[in-house]
Amino acid sequence: MIRRFAVFLLLLGLGAIFADLLLGYTPSEELNLTARYYAEHTAQDLGAANIVTAIVVTYRGLDTLGEVTVLFLTATIIGMVLARGRKHRALQRQLPAAGELLTTGSRLLVPLILLLGVYVFVNGHLTPGGGFQGGAIVASAALLLLLTDPLKRFSHRLIAVMEAVSGLFFIGLGVLGLVYAGGFLDSRVLPNGAFGTLFSAGVMPIIYSFIGLKVGAEFTSMLTHLAETEQS
Amino acid sequence: MDWIAMATGFILILMGLYGALTNRNILRIIVSFSVANTGVNLVLVAVGYMRGRTAPILDEAVPMTDAVTRIIDPLPQALVLTAIVIGLGVTALMLTYAYKLYEEKGTLDISKCRDLKW
Amino acid sequence: MVSPLYIIAVGLGAAFLLGLLPEKWQRAAYGVTLLALALMGWIAGSWLWAFALQGAAPVEIFTAGTQPPFAINFRVGLAEASLALLMALTGLHAALYMRDTLFKQGRRAMAVLLIFVMATCGVIFTRDLFNLFVFMELVVISTGGLVLLSADRRALGAGLKYLIVSQLVSILMLVGMVFAYHATGTLNIDGMAAAQADLFKGGALAFFLMLMAVLAELKPFPANGWGLDIYESAHPAFAALFSAATGAATVYAADKLLLIGGAQWLPLASAIGIVTFVVANIFALVQDNDRRLLGYSSIAQVGLILTVIGQRDLLGEQYYFVAGGILLAHAVAKAGLFWLSGLVAARGLGDWAALRGHPVLVFAFVTFIALLVGLPPFPGFYAKWELAHALAANGQLWLLGLILFGALLEAAYLFRWFGYVLKREQPQAGLLLQAIKEDVALSAVVVAWLLAYLWGELSGQGNLLHAIPLLFALLFLPLDWLPAKLKNGLAIAGLVGWFYLHYPSYDALQLIFAAVMLPGGAIILLASFQTQQRRVGFYPAAMLMFAGLAMLIEAKTSFAFFAAWELLTVGSYFLILRGKHSEPHALSYIVFSLGGAFLMLAGFALAAQGVPDFKIAALAQVAEPFAPWVFALLAIGFMTKTAAVGVHIWLPGAHAEAETDVSPLVSGILLKAGLFGLFVLLMTMGKQQLYGVELTHVMLWIGAISALIGNLLAIFQEDAKRLLAYSSIGQMGYALFGLAMMNHLGWLMALMFVINHYIYKSMLFLSVGGVAKRTGTRDMYRMGGLITLMPLSFIATLIGIIAVSGVPPLSGFGGRWIFYNAIMTAEYRLPMVIIFLAGPIAFLYLFRLIHTIFLGQLKDELRTVKEAPFWIVLPQMIFVVALLVFALIPGMALRHVDAYLAPFFGGQNGLDWAGLTITSEFGYWSPVSIMLIIGVIFATLFAWLLFVNRRAQPVKQFNIVFAGERPFRPETTHFAWNFFAPYRKALGFLTQPLVTIFWETLTELLHSAADILRRMYTGNGQTYAIHLLAFVIIVYLLWMGGL
Repeated sequence: MIRRFAVFLLLLGLGAIFADLLLGYTPSEELNLTARYYAEHTAQDLGAANIVTAIVVTYRGLDTLGEVTVLFLTATIIGMVLARGRKHRALQRQLPAAGELLTTGSRLLVPLILLLGVYVFVNGHLTPGGGFQGGAIVASAALLLLLTDPLKRFSHRLIAVMEAVSGLFFIGLGVLGLVYAGGFLDSRVLPNGAFGTLFSAGVMPIIYSFIGLKVGAEFTSMLTHLAETEQS
Repeated sequence: MDWIAMATGFILILMGLYGALTNRNILRIIVSFSVANTGVNLVLVAVGYMRGRTAPILDEAVPMTDAVTRIIDPLPQALVLTAIVIGLGVTALMLTYAYKLYEEKGTLDISKCRDLKW
Repeated sequence: MVSPLYIIAVGLGAAFLLGLLPEKWQRAAYGVTLLALALMGWIAGSWLWAFALQGAAPVEIFTAGTQPPFAINFRVGLAEASLALLMALTGLHAALYMRDTLFKQGRRAMAVLLIFVMATCGVIFTRDLFNLFVFMELVVISTGGLVLLSADRRALGAGLKYLIVSQLVSILMLVGMVFAYHATGTLNIDGMAAAQADLFKGGALAFFLMLMAVLAELKPFPANGWGLDIYESAHPAFAALFSAATGAATVYAADKLLLIGGAQWLPLASAIGIVTFVVANIFALVQDNDRRLLGYSSIAQVGLILTVIGQRDLLGEQYYFVAGGILLAHAVAKAGLFWLSGLVAARGLGDWAALRGHPVLVFAFVTFIALLVGLPPFPGFYAKWELAHALAANGQLWLLGLILFGALLEAAYLFRWFGYVLKREQPQAGLLLQAIKEDVALSAVVVAWLLAYLWGELSGQGNLLHAIPLLFALLFLPLDWLPAKLKNGLAIAGLVGWFYLHYPSYDALQLIFAAVMLPGGAIILLASFQTQQRRVGFYPAAMLMFAGLAMLIEAKTSFAFFAAWELLTVGSYFLILRGKHSEPHALSYIVFSLGGAFLMLAGFALAAQGVPDFKIAALAQVAEPFAPWVFALLAIGFMTKTAAVGVHIWLPGAHAEAETDVSPLVSGILLKAGLFGLFVLLMTMGKQQLYGVELTHVMLWIGAISALIGNLLAIFQEDAKRLLAYSSIGQMGYALFGLAMMNHLGWLMALMFVINHYIYKSMLFLSVGGVAKRTGTRDMYRMGGLITLMPLSFIATLIGIIAVSGVPPLSGFGGRWIFYNAIMTAEYRLPMVIIFLAGPIAFLYLFRLIHTIFLGQLKDELRTVKEAPFWIVLPQMIFVVALLVFALIPGMALRHVDAYLAPFFGGQNGLDWAGLTITSEFGYWSPVSIMLIIGVIFATLFAWLLFVNRRAQPVKQFNIVFAGERPFRPETTHFAWNFFAPYRKALGFLTQPLVTIFWETLTELLHSAADILRRMYTGNGQTYAIHLLAFVIIVYLLWMGGL
């Protein structure tokens, strides 16, 4: 009870800070310096229609590399922790069989979901979406499969190779930018191409595709590891 | 009306923190933090929002030339993407910890996990 | 040169690459990991080389081919390159150290380690706020993984607590950041700093939230329970990383963040830092788990660095020198200690006694402790010096006081731990030795000494590692495998040689002190020829003390003086600690000494007022209002060394429990360092008044009371060495009194005391030590009648006590004579009465030395005792001769000093040294004729006695007693125990251990406060998160309320 009261009081304090922030907030009427630069230069300099993508993949590409690394790191740690000392015991209880609807539905949907995922990350520089969203969609296919059959096993090897290869390509493309263009992760290693088409914005769509693959692989890896705990 | 999203975000943060700091069950704590993180993300995008403008994607509707006057600030949107993923990573890691702790101690009560102190 | 971006690319690339390798290829994976870490280190190292030696300018590294603030940029300069090298090297060492664990956990663990190191480098390089956040989250998550490498199952809980707290941190950070972005329109750190004014129009709160988030990662008090749990439970190699790498990187992040806030936020950083520093050190006092203790110490050190960051503006150009010195010293020492902790099997502090069997590991331990405490010649020492001076020059005296207080606490628990290592029972199989782990730990020792050299070069004060005495002392470390006799010869040669080469350049005062300390020390060292084995550790310690003494005498600047002071303090501490039961006494010695030294540091800093290279002679020019404070601080510092009453409680134990040849070293010689300091102080600063009180008058009182209490306590001792030790307190009281009289004869008398006390106290300690060695006890009532068995020791003691008591014909009388002359010219009546009273009391205890040890009846069990060993007797005989010579012709030494002192008193009240008599305005003293007269009287009486007793029959010892009845216990016929019982009844109230009780209560209070308060760390992760929230809210109320 005392704890609840103390927490309540402290959050009241935090709330006061937030209220202060909120009351002091005036929405800007115009884009600020940074945003204006992006609005004016993205299309010409990088040739990407989706400005957010240009920021995510190129201008703040280092953040994105870190972000991908966060996922990789989490997946790796989960693998490390859950693989450790796992005893392969038989399942204690009988799993209820997946219903007909789920089985058939997943058979129908998984290829479509995969296709959608690929579409989303390949077109990340043109439309809303991109590698993370696409990757998450791809992984949701794996989730669907696991829901259908909780004992289904994916190849750890395949996932590991996929996350490693796509990660290495990401870094490799970044280094190419350092060598052949203006700096690390500069997308202008390839020509910008025709604005608004699939093959435009330099290596941006390629990087975003690898990000998509990697995110998909990481999510699948986490899901698989967590699913495998079901066994013990 | 612009502040509704932001206020909601702040309220979500406070609610989430209250849950995280008063619940003893580790899973509930993790869920509470997810709520708070959602609040943070909402605040993030709310700051980038500008009334009467559109998404920062250039197409027929928003030609390159008047992008400056038509689009909202794209940067918070990029940030929130990263923030979401990081939040997700931490959540996944905490879940794994919760699983291992449960395996180890047979309980998810955080107040039972006090081997190290003083 | 390769772009620093490759540090990131290599780290990440290698981590990803590990995924391609098959699970079974552990060796290949390990190879890739080591290679990547080495490569990262090489890149950082090559940049460091370029910045440090080729003077390259800091470089900006742009990404995405776009200028900041539109894209993320890195900046790499000297600080960044050195920190990145630190990260890569600790990472590489961690990988080597954890080899077995990494092999067991597989390539995934190696990938996490690589990402951890990469991310810490990213935190250091990046100039973009959000990028900083991303790298910090990477550090957090990889920490969450690496914690689990521990064999300790409790690490799981610790990791979870950390994650909970870091969730809270990232919420604060993100909310703050987005509002700061809104206010300034940029995420670039330098851009934000430039737009400071905009930021603080409406964004002060935003900055506040970000600052709290980053500071929370620095584990400020009270929001740091989670950090402690990680330190305690993690794999030691990771704890080393967590302390050294995470700590350094986060400190640098805080430094960058404060650039945005600007000067107005610096006091907040200092305040949080200093509270953390002091409180963490207090809590550490009651820790008995080694790793948790190191955790508290880490938190404290980071707090100290935060304090320094807050003083950035004061320090100016010195900022990186000071902050970097403390930071690197902390990082290397903590990493080294955590690595050592992996070699020790059990977790109690006392279990570290297992190190004792390996002198190299003990040396490593000492190095790390000295590095942490900031003793010379390590970087922390130079840094502390500069910091104290900057703070004192800018009136930040409270802060300086708190820093020194915290540092003293830290030294106390670290040296207590060292005492355990050398003195506690050595556990069976207490070490888990593994060659690679040992090598990793020892590499930190090498780095520590390299840093010491580097900081010496960088400091404007001259490199201590260029000082020949210190180098000579250090030379004994590699020579420690030689037999003791050889080393002893070398040591004596060194002392005499140094004196011979340097004495022509000394003035009279220096000459007297140098003669007592260096050739004087050599004579005492003759006794050390007695030892048979290698005597590991004795010579480095002894020579360190002598190096300090030699440097002290020649010191021209306050820095040189203080450095020498600390060296001699530390050296003598190691010497004292060698005694069999001296663990607690050595600790109290070092704590009092360092406390005194810190007061001196404050005094010098206050005197210098920011002047670099402050000359000792310039003390004379210190003006009001600082002068009296400087005087008081320095005087207390010096009086701690001379064991004036109030700060004397360390002395009896330290001197009595020391080894036979160490007691005369620390008593006969070391105490003179304090007198030397007082001389220098009084000669430069003279009389000072504080709030209308004449400070020399206060010293006069202290001297008088010391003389009385010291002598009084001495008479009630049963332990012969303790008796001598208390007598030293009394004797130093006399010297202090003489100095404080502030007249010519008083000073002359004090100088005479320097020589006399050296000779007779060394002699007495040696002869008593020799007796104790033969009889196996130091309790006088267990001895008796040794006159026939140990005649030479008897002669030395006899001559010694004649000299001490100040009766004719020996030099003690000369001292008294000058003393009485001096008193007659001074006007302080009451202290004079006290000091007169102290005189006869001295007779009482001196009498016991002869009566109880050498006269009376021989105990049964001592019938076979032989004379003390030759090498112990030899110096005593030299001293006997010296005493006689000095008694005959005191003018040889004193007339020069007399002439030297004359100008200080306008040539007044001097003595006339014509011929063999010495004349004062009150009378004259002719040593030779006194000696002759006494000699004639003695010879006559002796001859007469012989003549009268010519037909006396020699009687056996017990003949008389046995005539009546047979005593049940023959030894009771020799009344010696509680000899002065009647006096105790009368004067016992004066010997109440009030001072001891005072200091013990103080210590007790600190300990129990720490023990109660640390219970706030309940171990509940949720509570820790509440602590953090409370920290933020409290700081908000205190700071923003007042902003």
